[in-house]
Amino acid sequence: MIRLENISRAFDGKWAVKGLSLEIPEGEIFGLLGPNGAGKTTIMRMMTGILQPTGGKIFIAGHDAAKEPVEAKSVTGYVPDRPFFYEKLTGKEFLIFIASIHRMKKEDAMRRIEGLTGLVDIKAVEDELIEGYSQGMKQRLLFASALVHEPKVILIDEPFVGLDPIGVLLIRDIIKDLASGGATILLATHSLQMASELCHRVGLINKGVLTAVKSRAEVSSAEGGLAALFLKEVSGRPSGEGR
Amino acid sequence: MLRLPVLLMPKFLSFRNSVNKGVVLRRLPFMLIGLVFAALLYIGAYKVLYYIRDIEFIGEALSKKLLSMVLFSLTGFLLLSNIITAISSFYLSRDIPFLLTLPLKRKEILALKTYETVVNSSWMVASFVPPVFLAYGVSYAAPPGYYLITLIALILFMLLTSATGITIAHVMTRLFPAKGMRDMLLFISLVLFLVVYFMLRASAPGDAGRPEELLSAILSFRAESPLLPNYWVLETVWESLGRRPFDALYPMALLSSAAFFLVLSFAAGVAFYGKNLEAVRPKTGGRTTAGIYPGMGHALLYKDFKVFVRDTGQWSQLLIIGALLLVYVYNFKSFPVEAVMKVTPLIREIIVLINMLMAGLVLSAVSARFVYSSVSLEGQAFWVIRSSPISMGRFLWGKFSYGFLPLCLITTALVFLTNLVMDVRGILMFASIATVILLSLSISGLGTGLGAMYPKFNYENIASVSMSLGGMVFMSLAFGVVALTVLLEAWPFYMYYKTGGIMWPATAVSVILMLALNFAAFYLPMRMGIKKLNRLE
Repeated sequence: MIRLENISRAFDGKWAVKGLSLEIPEGEIFGLLGPNGAGKTTIMRMMTGILQPTGGKIFIAGHDAAKEPVEAKSVTGYVPDRPFFYEKLTGKEFLIFIASIHRMKKEDAMRRIEGLTGLVDIKAVEDELIEGYSQGMKQRLLFASALVHEPKVILIDEPFVGLDPIGVLLIRDIIKDLASGGATILLATHSLQMASELCHRVGLINKGVLTAVKSRAEVSSAEGGLAALFLKEVSGRPSGEGR
Repeated sequence: MLRLPVLLMPKFLSFRNSVNKGVVLRRLPFMLIGLVFAALLYIGAYKVLYYIRDIEFIGEALSKKLLSMVLFSLTGFLLLSNIITAISSFYLSRDIPFLLTLPLKRKEILALKTYETVVNSSWMVASFVPPVFLAYGVSYAAPPGYYLITLIALILFMLLTSATGITIAHVMTRLFPAKGMRDMLLFISLVLFLVVYFMLRASAPGDAGRPEELLSAILSFRAESPLLPNYWVLETVWESLGRRPFDALYPMALLSSAAFFLVLSFAAGVAFYGKNLEAVRPKTGGRTTAGIYPGMGHALLYKDFKVFVRDTGQWSQLLIIGALLLVYVYNFKSFPVEAVMKVTPLIREIIVLINMLMAGLVLSAVSARFVYSSVSLEGQAFWVIRSSPISMGRFLWGKFSYGFLPLCLITTALVFLTNLVMDVRGILMFASIATVILLSLSISGLGTGLGAMYPKFNYENIASVSMSLGGMVFMSLAFGVVALTVLLEAWPFYMYYKTGGIMWPATAVSVILMLALNFAAFYLPMRMGIKKLNRLE
């Protein structure tokens, strides 16, 4: 469903992502883990068309993101790391705007929006201007907007920022349900616990290079779990060292 | 002690860090365009003065009247611009929450915001006005002191209008805290409308049939009340031109008023700022029912319209435009066409051409505020568009139609009405309407395209986008397109009156050149804008 072929991206001659290849099948939740500045957000932004790769190819549901960007975007839902909105729209108006851009029929769109606002629990504020939302409410709205058009591929960058514990559990369950329903999910997060719990596989990335890919079974059988793997792959030292 | 230099340091450092050899080289052509525009403005002003001063009997009076009208328009423009910029700067800008967390005295924040307001609302005027005063100085062979005195007078004038605008912004925000900014600005616009309406009625010229009545009709324009600062600037400048013995009264009036209003604006800030900040915070709990379902075809238009109506920082700029249009219509309404025709027979044709020129300039100013800024308006939410299944071409053409339709409607109506007022009919009416439609198309394309080529998504307030370097380049190019178009249109008229018959080859060449120029101004920037957006990261 997602295929990245040797993608690279440089900024001012410095590699942010270098020679990264990855394939994620339908229905899988793949976690991208890495320290700050590792290149996780850059990968996401290349997949959504916000950034262009310096080299390599990106295929989303069979669509070449460079040659068929509109088709690729039509099947992709994106939750960015920072929730910027049109603050003078209400939450519902924003969702209607997204549905319209995705060419959804009015009846389908309204039914879907009705369901989603209930699902992410923002029905009480859906008719208020976004500028008045708390950060957690904005994050919930962001999820709803990424799911309006029932995407096959969902890219989620730091999903739990600003959410209260109830919100975290809610979003975790939504992500699980989406994958069960056949959606392919790429998740970039700093939460090792959530990654262990949610992801079928995790990729460890450091300085733009994918250093290891581990299945859930490999993670759970590793001594010290995902935290130990993370420290070993990313900092090059075993867990416990340097404390 | 105020630490204004420390507070200004981030702005200075940001500027320094953003300036490098590459940036300077990239911006050099635009700086040159700005210089060429200033040179053309100077030449134009000088030629107009040369022509006007040559008119027997009323030349000198007309020359002073022209300066008076320029200063009157500037007062209205600067005052409104300052009120709106002050509201944005003091109450809506994004750095306020950060500033409030710093160990700063309230006075220091007020000083910083006053500085921002003065610079942001005055720099465009400060850039475009000097060639006009230079033309006066050269035309009158003014002594060197004229330039220094004029510079000081203009600085005081801008400080005075800024301080007044800031004071009004503080007081109005205090008076209308619960109902919010929208009601406050509606109130200001109502007051402004009434003031201008009564001024127009008071100064409507009578029947100016004879030369002495003509003079009295022109002089009846009451832009200059001794109580208004534009009058003080006018008299100061006029005295320093050497047209009258120097009297310190008006310069002192300017200096003392500027100082007084600066202190007053600070006092109003100290008294009201804290409470006002509480009042203008985004409200929660207000409910707005989602309206129609726009569908793909109108999604962008629908979103832009909703944001526009609800964003005070945007629609309040309509007040500036409204004031500009009122001054514009007034200028034509008050011009005694019939009387002047007895002196200069071609005046109706000249006035129609000037009307188109002025309409084109108004069109450019309006476009800078709304069309040029339309791409930047997406702000940091532009990721929504970039990650949506919509091509950049479709996005930009959507932005174009969002600007073109209302602009075309407004300018066509404006020219149609002013023509009617001046009893212009037939071919002249047709030609001027066709020209402004053509200009609306080209200026909208130029604005949308250039706005996409130089977007500024990370703005403090949307008004600052049109005042950026790119905005200034757009204004200069737009003015150039308007001036060239009108010149090309004037050519067949000139030939007609020179030869006594229609010169078809000249007319055909003129029309072809006009179409080519406007097509290029409309299409090329749009293409380049789409290309830029596709590459934008």
